[in-house]
Amino acid sequence: MKKIFNTILMLLAGVYAFAQAPVPAKAQDKPIALTGGVAHLGNGQVIENAVIAFDKGKLAIVASASTNPNLSGYEVIRIDGKHVYPGFILPNSQVGLQEVTSIRAMNDYQERGDMNPNVRSLISYNTDSEFIPTFRFNGVLLAETTPTGGTISGSSSVMEMEGWNWEDAVHTADIGIHMNWPALMRRQFDFNTFSFSESPNAEYEKQVTALAQFFAEAQAYGKLSAKETNLKFEALQGLFDGTKILFIHATMPKEIVESIRFAQRSGVQRITLLSGQGAYWVADFLKENNIPVILPDTHSLPDRTDDDIDMPFKLPYLLTQAGVQVSLSCTGALHGGRNLAFFAGTAAAYGLGKEDALKAITSNTAKALGIDKRVGTLEVGKDATLFVSEGDALDMRTNQLSHAFISGKLVTLPGNQQELYERFSKKYGQMK
Amino acid sequence: MRQILLTSTLILLVAGHLVAQETFPRNDVKDPRAGLFAFTNATIVVDPQTTIQNATLLVKNGRVEQVGTNLTVPKGYTTYDVKGKYIYPSLIDLSTNYGLPEVQRPRGGGGGFTGAEQMESNTKGAYNANQAIRSHYNAADEFSVNATRANELRKAGFGAVLTYKPDGLARGTAAFVTLGESSDNNVLLRQKAAATYSFEKGTSTQNYPSSLMGCIAVLRQTYMDAEWFGSLNPRPFADNSLEAWIQNQKLPQVFDANGWMNVLRADKLGDEFGVQYIIRGSGDEYKRVKEIKATNASLIVPVNYPEAYDVEDPFDAARVSLAEMKHWELAPTNLGALEKAGINFSITSHSLRKVSDLIPNVRKAIENGLSETAALKALTITPAQLIKMDDQIGSLKKGMVANFLITSGKLFDEKTIIHQNWIQGQPFAIKPLDTKDFSGTYNLSLNNASYNLEVTGEPGAHKAKVKVNDSTSVDATATFGNDLITLSFKPDAKAQGSIRLTGWTQGNGWKGRGQLINGTWVNWSATRTGDVKAGGPQRSGGDTKKDEPGKVIYPFIGHGYPTLPVAETMIIRNATVWTNEADGILQNTDVLVKDGKIARIGKNLSEPGAKVIDGTGKHLTAGIIDEHSHIAAASINDVVSNSGMVRIGDNIDAENINVYRALAGGVVAVQILHGSANPIGGQSALVKLRWGEAPENYKIQGADRFIKFALGENVKRTANPSSIRYPQTRMGVEQVYMDAFTSALEYQKRWNAYNSLPAKEKMLAVKPRRDLADEAMLDIINKKLFITCHSYVQSEINMLMKVAEKFNFRVNTFTHILEGYKVADKMAQHGVAASTFSDWWNYKWEVRYAIPYNAAIMNRAGVLTAINSDDAEMGRRLNQEAAKAVKYGGISEEEALKMVTLNPAKMLHLDNQMGSIKVGKSADIVLWTDHPLSVYAKPEKTIIDGKVYFDIEKDAQNNKEQEAERARLIQKLKNAKRAGMPTQRSEGRSQAEFHCEDVLGQESEGHEH
Repeated sequence: MKKIFNTILMLLAGVYAFAQAPVPAKAQDKPIALTGGVAHLGNGQVIENAVIAFDKGKLAIVASASTNPNLSGYEVIRIDGKHVYPGFILPNSQVGLQEVTSIRAMNDYQERGDMNPNVRSLISYNTDSEFIPTFRFNGVLLAETTPTGGTISGSSSVMEMEGWNWEDAVHTADIGIHMNWPALMRRQFDFNTFSFSESPNAEYEKQVTALAQFFAEAQAYGKLSAKETNLKFEALQGLFDGTKILFIHATMPKEIVESIRFAQRSGVQRITLLSGQGAYWVADFLKENNIPVILPDTHSLPDRTDDDIDMPFKLPYLLTQAGVQVSLSCTGALHGGRNLAFFAGTAAAYGLGKEDALKAITSNTAKALGIDKRVGTLEVGKDATLFVSEGDALDMRTNQLSHAFISGKLVTLPGNQQELYERFSKKYGQMK
Repeated sequence: MRQILLTSTLILLVAGHLVAQETFPRNDVKDPRAGLFAFTNATIVVDPQTTIQNATLLVKNGRVEQVGTNLTVPKGYTTYDVKGKYIYPSLIDLSTNYGLPEVQRPRGGGGGFTGAEQMESNTKGAYNANQAIRSHYNAADEFSVNATRANELRKAGFGAVLTYKPDGLARGTAAFVTLGESSDNNVLLRQKAAATYSFEKGTSTQNYPSSLMGCIAVLRQTYMDAEWFGSLNPRPFADNSLEAWIQNQKLPQVFDANGWMNVLRADKLGDEFGVQYIIRGSGDEYKRVKEIKATNASLIVPVNYPEAYDVEDPFDAARVSLAEMKHWELAPTNLGALEKAGINFSITSHSLRKVSDLIPNVRKAIENGLSETAALKALTITPAQLIKMDDQIGSLKKGMVANFLITSGKLFDEKTIIHQNWIQGQPFAIKPLDTKDFSGTYNLSLNNASYNLEVTGEPGAHKAKVKVNDSTSVDATATFGNDLITLSFKPDAKAQGSIRLTGWTQGNGWKGRGQLINGTWVNWSATRTGDVKAGGPQRSGGDTKKDEPGKVIYPFIGHGYPTLPVAETMIIRNATVWTNEADGILQNTDVLVKDGKIARIGKNLSEPGAKVIDGTGKHLTAGIIDEHSHIAAASINDVVSNSGMVRIGDNIDAENINVYRALAGGVVAVQILHGSANPIGGQSALVKLRWGEAPENYKIQGADRFIKFALGENVKRTANPSSIRYPQTRMGVEQVYMDAFTSALEYQKRWNAYNSLPAKEKMLAVKPRRDLADEAMLDIINKKLFITCHSYVQSEINMLMKVAEKFNFRVNTFTHILEGYKVADKMAQHGVAASTFSDWWNYKWEVRYAIPYNAAIMNRAGVLTAINSDDAEMGRRLNQEAAKAVKYGGISEEEALKMVTLNPAKMLHLDNQMGSIKVGKSADIVLWTDHPLSVYAKPEKTIIDGKVYFDIEKDAQNNKEQEAERARLIQKLKNAKRAGMPTQRSEGRSQAEFHCEDVLGQESEGHEH
């Protein structure tokens, strides 16, 4: 079965001789129905023998075959025994902004300066990044491309993993502002003991005060009638009127509480927290304040020696149990973004269960990014951004995509890596 | 100012006259003194075994003239009746830098990995090639009395110290000096009393060594160089450091080692050269008493107990590690544990915050199991013996240097005070000998009022309290002199000021003058009315039952266990068994483990006494072997282009949490590789993850030796634009190899020529120098040392195979080998194995064309292929990485699992003993909850040598127990804080996670590997 599939893959690859990223697909020009598969809706529900149909880029039917939906006019693709998922969403990524990590010229994600709310990630976004096909290949069809650095890094956008240029590829522009809350502790490396140590950040109060003043002045600026335009303050206004999300990056429990209290006091309407184990200590606080949390990959090491060795694995479960909405990101190297599904698989194995783990890379993420009206689940009226896998897509053993659609467009799955695979397999006569 | 100067000059001059120093000019009349003193009616502790009551000590010219009972004091002796007092030999400290200039460490520095490299020593003159070899340094050349410091040390009870400069790997000689102040010339008892060493390069700015194992390699090479250099006459060149090194070998050899593992490392290094070091440890030896004892080394042990941690805030308390808390509790048990184990040790004030903590801390050790005799021995006789000065100092026998303490009681009793510390027959007063005891209750009358005054505490440290009415007492501020008193107190709690009194002793009390709050002068007097009532408020109150400290755990960090696992006889029943052999995957099969081996495989097995483990629905596989790991080493990368002399095995870290995390991921063995900053890196260590064992027990006995090579961007120092180190291109990298192997063959020729000389000629011939880097290269050519080479692009892969072929050997393994798929046919032909990442790419230019199909293509092309981690995180789920070879390239599941088990075993030449489930092989196996290639699979048990090193249930249980242990310690810490002990914040020390590139221990941006 797998061999056959690989051959199909090769044939597909054979069509394209990629010197460049694969050619973007055309807009959906005919209605398509996927039938006979197991549909994982992303909201916890599963439909066996499902009909998933879409037209003009939007889902039209999400139903069990037993309801006998009318498929006249649809091109029907049988996916018996396969699995359908909403496209996975990778939050807080530098995809499109970074290519070869070690080469300065290929890094476009960190502007100079400390307060950069006006800087917009999608401007740097390179649709020809070779990471993109590798993400798509494993089911990541949407990503939040995010600037980094400073105290306020800039504004992020959600991109589709396909498109001719950033303007085409953007799914939702400027969803929010990323803020790095000052650290209470600083980490130093000691050459003599070859270990890290921590000491209190003496600048903490000063940094927090600077942030508070920045936000206070920005809010006051919004109410001025006659004024000289301030691009930085303009960029923050969406936080106060609820059109943008403040993404707070904070690590330690006290930082989390202080940063969220700060944002609430400053008139910020919508908050998403990016944190790790620290969030677990203040889970009740996060639940009471209704703060969604984006976690690092589960494929991480515990923060401290004494932590339970499986702490990162079970953290999504522990927070979910505590009533906090969690989603998963990739905090390691950028290329690891293609393993998003497996981060969820690990969370599933450590208590979360498969459908809740799926939420953590689909619907929960859509909510945390404020794009859940359009994506994150397989529901009628939402974007037809979905894919078909031979088996359980959260397990590397069975994650094998046969089709992927972004807003109804059938996208090319193989990329340069598959092309090289084919080229050298042929060289050694491993493939005819 | 002028007067003060004059006075101090005077004192020095007078002092100068006390002991004849004939060669010095005189600027006064002669002031000869006989230096005859007698101390009578004392309890004299001649040495820890000999205490004489009611004895007399006679001192003459700075030496003990006589000690004993019923001695007649000859005429002309200045006599002190010290009835009720004790006399002890003054204490000796073997680890100080007293009287030497402080070492100024160079600031910053990236260990040679940032900025332009410094390849050679900066020391001007005919000194050693390595700047950290400072054997030519003599502390005696720089030593000068430091009165302030001498005073501190004397007050703490010391009379003489070994002093040396803590700078360098070889630190030169130490001087032995007394803490007198008469003159530098008089106090220096021995110029070269010991030679000293360490694992810290100190002020050396030379890049090499930049790692712990590099430090060991430099010392090892220097031993060999010195042996060679010393055998040649005339010398081939001048080297002041080597000359001194050779001379210094006659002295006691003192090694400064921080942490119990460094104690073992130092001893092991000494063993290689027949040197038994005296090792200065750091006070944590109780963690591994058995191994420390086995070194046979005498120790110099500090009593620097950590301060309590501040655990007031539960969030902050969570930052304090279990190891920190346990060490806080157990550090005072260290000396007791050493004594119990029969380890010879002396005690040092080294690393104490205040030297005055010495005796209080020794007392804590006594409260925690150290005997008083052993304590005294460790501060007197033992240090003297260790540096072979016991014929002169350390006891009060006739003829010894008259260094002694006069104390109010037994030295280690809490109430005891040191009155005087005599150094070389000269007194240094600390607390007056005849301090009067004023404790008692007094009737204090002044201004027509009367108060009850209560004086408590020891003479010299009295406290006063004034009872102003029946229910209220106020603390008074008081100073008691033998003749004078100062006293002030608030007449009632609300008073806006204090009554201030001054006076003098009168009969059974005092009288004098004073001022009321309003300034009115009054007379006052106080008359003794009786003794203070015994009892009073107890210091700690309530339950005085001494709480038992927690247990030592192995290793001494969170997730350690109080006991080590033992080999069990067990049957894993009815599991799916992945044999990795011709049998393939066996369903519903039993495996018997016995004596650490796989004893039988079959159905319905039985064995008397065997523990049965239900494997129904579970999978049993060979344990995972990570061909490329950097866990469990104290350092990973040194800096010179050819670092072949450096050995990871010299610095195994047996307290690394990533070992346990990997075990929990089903890993049983790893190759700990050197980093990739050098074309020729250091030699690997092949270890099994024997969690809790001592470092040497991690090593796989009899395993072949491997060495790390590296190609490409890292060795070109691409990430460091200021680098000047050769090579800077791949062309240069090839030439480094050509040069190294060519040089090795020349080396072999030299030795062969020398060794084949007839005995007579050999004696006259110039012996070649041993060179550990050349020897490593030669071992490669001679197939005794095997290469694992970090590699990425096809050109360099091809190159190294060609170089190897030129020298008639084969590269054993290419690791990373991300473009291996481009030259897989050539690799198969060469016979090299490949150990790769499953799906990493694009983090630097040379991995731009890395593809996840690499493993599949190479495997199909006939290259023995493995998947490795290079990463503590990925290393604990390598089964999932293997599964990616199925996903990318359609390798069969059985073959995929072999890529993390049998195939790496083959690459590491361990497949005769591990890598598959086969009768007779070591029981290094994993029981999984699910299909081992599934993301949902968890190891339930990881077994090494038939011992269960990880058990998922035992882990949960241990977590609970350690949570309880933390809770207990947190309460104890809180109590310590409440009792007024100083507290500290945890430094949150965490181990660096190493990767290939991470020579600084810091992950470079974007995970460079």
